[in-house]
Amino acid sequence: MPHIDNDVKLDFKDVLLRPKRSTLKSRSEVDLTRSFSFRNSKQMYTGVPIIAANMDTVGTFEMAKVLCKFSLFTAVHKHYRLDQWQEFASQNPEPHFSHSIWLPAQAQALRTLSSWNRSWKLFPRNTCLDVANGYSEHFVEFVKDVRKRFPQHTIMAGNVVTGEMVEELILSGADIIKVGIGPGSVCTTRKKTGVGYPQLSAVMECADAAHGLKGHIISDGGCSCPGDVAKAFGAGADFVMLGGMLAGHSESGGELIERDGKKYKLFYGMSSEMAMKKYAGGVAEYRASEGKTVEVPFKGDVEHTIRDILGGIRSTCTYVGAAKLKELSRRTTFIRVTQQMNPIFSDEH
Amino acid sequence: MPRIDADLKLDFKDVLLRPKRSSLRSRAEVDLERTFTFRNSKQTYSGIPIIVANMDTVGTFEMAAVMSQHSMFTAVHKHYSLDDWKLFAANHPECLQHVAVSSGSGQSDLEKMSSILEAVPQVKFICLDVANGYSEHFVEFVKLVRAKFPEHTIMAGNVVTGEMVEELILSGADIIKVGVGPGSVCTTRTKTGVGYPQLSAVIECADSAHGLKGHIISDGGCTCPGDVAKAFGAGADFVMLGGMFSGHTECAGEVIERNGQKLKLFYGMSSETAMKKHAGGVAEYRASEGKTVEVPYKGDVENTILDILGGLRSTCTYVGAAKLKELSRRATFIRVTQQHNTVFS
Repeated sequence: MPHIDNDVKLDFKDVLLRPKRSTLKSRSEVDLTRSFSFRNSKQMYTGVPIIAANMDTVGTFEMAKVLCKFSLFTAVHKHYRLDQWQEFASQNPEPHFSHSIWLPAQAQALRTLSSWNRSWKLFPRNTCLDVANGYSEHFVEFVKDVRKRFPQHTIMAGNVVTGEMVEELILSGADIIKVGIGPGSVCTTRKKTGVGYPQLSAVMECADAAHGLKGHIISDGGCSCPGDVAKAFGAGADFVMLGGMLAGHSESGGELIERDGKKYKLFYGMSSEMAMKKYAGGVAEYRASEGKTVEVPFKGDVEHTIRDILGGIRSTCTYVGAAKLKELSRRTTFIRVTQQMNPIFSDEH
Repeated sequence: MPRIDADLKLDFKDVLLRPKRSSLRSRAEVDLERTFTFRNSKQTYSGIPIIVANMDTVGTFEMAAVMSQHSMFTAVHKHYSLDDWKLFAANHPECLQHVAVSSGSGQSDLEKMSSILEAVPQVKFICLDVANGYSEHFVEFVKLVRAKFPEHTIMAGNVVTGEMVEELILSGADIIKVGVGPGSVCTTRTKTGVGYPQLSAVIECADSAHGLKGHIISDGGCTCPGDVAKAFGAGADFVMLGGMFSGHTECAGEVIERNGQKLKLFYGMSSETAMKKHAGGVAEYRASEGKTVEVPYKGDVENTILDILGGLRSTCTYVGAAKLKELSRRATFIRVTQQHNTVFS
């Protein structure tokens, strides 16, 4: 008989952070930079641990150029060619810059990976291994294989949502585990498959498992506002990956669409029909598309959005009395709520 | 004094499936076919256990012709005449193993069904469908049909609790239809206050049926491929879909055009529309227990079928089930407060 886990699992919308006494005078005192030493690669990294998602609309070179000014990360999408990478690298040789780039990799591309090896020397050692379902044995083997070939690269791998699989991937050689199945705004996995895990609970459980092994996690997906980013860090995420919140900017991929005097940009999931048509020639017969395509209002330069997010998190830290982002999860008490805010003057749901 | 069952009963929207370790490489490896041997008819059946509902909008011969190409099943609605059936049987002999003849519990329904089964002996399935499977009268009717058709596989319902599943199986039914009020065009719950959340109903009824080597159909309440996967995960042997198959080319009724939008009519079989069409109106002593909606025209049902089957295969890879049969054994449901991110909904 199927098993029902009767604990109700929680999403960002189900909680708020409880304010706590604080000795901070101003939010400008808050330090959002973190330094990590990764378990398997032994590399060090310092930066603000927010990552632009490896989606072809968000994880662009243009985005990387702006984000690195703020010490944010970009997981560059996997659809750039080698010569595009070389050109980008030659134009942006600063060492701090290369630290904030995550190279893409993918199961099917393993052979290409080794041929890229030389060009990788241009960059330090970050690899993002991303598949929809991190639970397959095949993926575990792939992570082991990549770890063997690239012993000093920091490997991000995912996606998973439960502690035992976080542990398995870390023990197989991954440094940072991407956590999240189905929470994204353009992800339809939950509707198409019924599979998923509420993001706040997933982050809390996975962070606990990872930190026990000195590994790290990324909360990937489900953030709709700076408050959600703060909740993800509060729940124990070492990094937070954003797609939808960074979509629709000048630096995002795709053309600007104008209609009825309004400007839009296209944003879509990487398993949507749109993406599969673009990169795989269509949706294969045996599978359903698991993403949607939306037009998001054009928001201008991403710099404003970044300031808004960072300002929000600094404010969170002062509310709970965390002088550093690192302290946020230790200072976090979540309370369960039934609504996030007063909806009277809201045009959103 | 009334009793309150304090256990919270769950719907599809209250849960998600937890992913589990899997040795599958690709969703193309997943086998969605199942083979059943039925308890009372002793018949064996193989196919993808998704059934088009016996509603006059979706349970059509046109639908059956497409479904059978995918080894999927159609419970053909009861309003076709004997001649319609003879014509269909002559034109589509390959479909007949994947269809059922439907009947209510009235005398005229029974007579028509008997004449169809006599004229088209290749059809081996009977779908006995009443709104309330709890009546003594219906139990007697199931026994009567079993006696008359000892080798036909009988689907009977609808019920939502284990003891009634057992009663109907012991009375001769093979497959019990489970669901009271979950359908998108069903208003039984608002008209009567009676009902049972579908996920819990399926879990409890599957347990009862499987104990007797019987089977169940989860009937109603699926709004997306994920819900179909949850129904199988909960233990349903078959899943019956109405609304998800509505609005297609193969559905009955004309395409309506309004403001440049194409629509098709879809309604419950106890709605005023259905009662006017088939019974000359709503009888004085009863309320309609269904509604009528215009659904956007979705084109050929083929695309919807591929979307549902692709979703199911993906579910199976997420939980590590190489076959649909293993899905319920690999299912752990977690309770949730929302299904998905609604930012762009």
